[in-house]
Amino acid sequence: MSTTETFEFNKDNLATYKEYLTRYDDVESALLPVLHLAQEQNGWLPDHVVSYISLLMSIPEIKIKEVISFYDMFYDVPVGRNIVQVCTNISCSMFGGREIYQGLLKHFDTGYLTPTRDGRISLQKMECLGACELAPCMRVNDDFVGNLDLTSAIQKLEELP
Amino acid sequence: MKDTANNKDYALLSYHHIPGVHKIEIFERAGGYETMKECFKKEPEAIKEEVKASGLRGRGGAGFATGVKWGFFTKDRKAIKYLLCNADESEPGTFKDRFLVERNPHILIEGMIISAWALATQKGYIYIRGEFYQQAVILERAIKEAYAKGYLGKNILGSGFDFDLYVHRGAGAYICGEETGMISSLEGKKGQPKLKPPFPAIKGYRGLPTMVNNVESLAAIPWIMKYGAPAYKQWGTEKSPGTKLFSISGDVNKPGVIEVPLSTSLKDIIEIHCGGMRNGNKLKAVIPGGSSAPIFNAADSYLVKMDYEDVAAKGSMLGSGAIIVLDETRNMGDVLKWTLEFYHHESCGQCTPCREGTGWLESVFKRKEKGQAHISDIDLLDKTASSMRGQTICALADAAAMPTQGMIKVFREELEAYVMTPAKVMTKK
Repeated sequence: MSTTETFEFNKDNLATYKEYLTRYDDVESALLPVLHLAQEQNGWLPDHVVSYISLLMSIPEIKIKEVISFYDMFYDVPVGRNIVQVCTNISCSMFGGREIYQGLLKHFDTGYLTPTRDGRISLQKMECLGACELAPCMRVNDDFVGNLDLTSAIQKLEELP
Repeated sequence: MKDTANNKDYALLSYHHIPGVHKIEIFERAGGYETMKECFKKEPEAIKEEVKASGLRGRGGAGFATGVKWGFFTKDRKAIKYLLCNADESEPGTFKDRFLVERNPHILIEGMIISAWALATQKGYIYIRGEFYQQAVILERAIKEAYAKGYLGKNILGSGFDFDLYVHRGAGAYICGEETGMISSLEGKKGQPKLKPPFPAIKGYRGLPTMVNNVESLAAIPWIMKYGAPAYKQWGTEKSPGTKLFSISGDVNKPGVIEVPLSTSLKDIIEIHCGGMRNGNKLKAVIPGGSSAPIFNAADSYLVKMDYEDVAAKGSMLGSGAIIVLDETRNMGDVLKWTLEFYHHESCGQCTPCREGTGWLESVFKRKEKGQAHISDIDLLDKTASSMRGQTICALADAAAMPTQGMIKVFREELEAYVMTPAKVMTKK
């Protein structure tokens, strides 16, 4: 993901931000939705994005960083254009979820969350994704893909833009 | 799903076979939102009484009676208070709430509007786990449709009652499924649980009364209000009435979600509803209620009836109804290792016995990978687990300790052999 040293919400997202504020009885409660929105726009959540949100919402930067580091789906490191989350919990591991994760790391010659050299993909080992009937499964961006083996997983990911 | 004996639809999945039922006009054509309209003619207290009489127990895992929980809520209709739907479904093996809302979001919304009217909550949030992005989109679309019909917002159907409903996405943290962790997260903080009491019904989101109920509990309300508590109690047992969604995964032919009366035997669930064991293999063990639930060996699995009392009497818990079936090819050491890695990763870190304890439990398996484990490590696991129980703000430490001790009780020899087996060569990250 390209990052610039400055960040501000684009026009649409600023409108969405204002709409978010109407949903809650205080500003702080909108933090998670706002972080999702910022990450959608910027790809990940570097310091200058945190500074912008801090000023926008009057929340101390350290509180925002605490939140970012607590949740698996907020990224404080650069990530690829596509996020691929591979489940390695019980039901998926029973059907090779761990081998698929390791196999994908090897195939794409990368590590946990490290973007592939072409910036296309970041792989993330995840705990139960809540789709155990599809075991072994992964999330490719926002969608579940299940009943995988390493070959079909690689094939699916090679199709990504 | 039909109750063929009584030719009556079950409470939760009765709309599921209807194509396009996620759209409001199709849901309404099938009778959706009729009960909600009827409920606005009823006294809120009468709704609460009906839910209490139904004996509905919280479907998130703890099994606390929903009507009793509602009874703790302030009756002051003007006081600011919230209804919070727990759709953070993260207990390993559980996927019932996802299955319910992705095809039929309106059943939950109808249940929440009825509940909001009964409890006089002015705002509601559906806290859905971050991974369920598409499901959040489906819910938001359905909420928009309900607003357009005047079922949400100001002066609902001329009742003078206002209720706004929003979807709030989590961002990947198991602990946010714990109701006070969820409240912290909704407040824009790390999802760290809070000490109880005060319970959220008294002091919850923003320090105000907050009713937290699971998706499946709220989705059962329309049926209960339509057919009445006695009809709901035709299913299940005196203490575990009604139907329940079960998520079944692992070594069965047909994994998936089913709705059956509580107290259905696990044997029937595996053999009839899930098409039996995969590859004709023999059953070895079952985790009956999500990864926190102590494991059953094959003999107990075939004896147990899936209700709160019988599962507890046999030493485990019904939990969220997540059934993981394991056949004879499975190694229990692997299963415990995967389980403990999970709890270590998901500990929120605020209580020492949990933050450190989950790490110590997992470390036995890390030593095993290096070929450095000792047979006495199984006793160490047992002792560590035992010292974690009941020592922390929330139940996560217990949720890690219980399956550890359960596994040792049932499969000690296998675990001992497992930790003493030299490590496989693992690919480095």
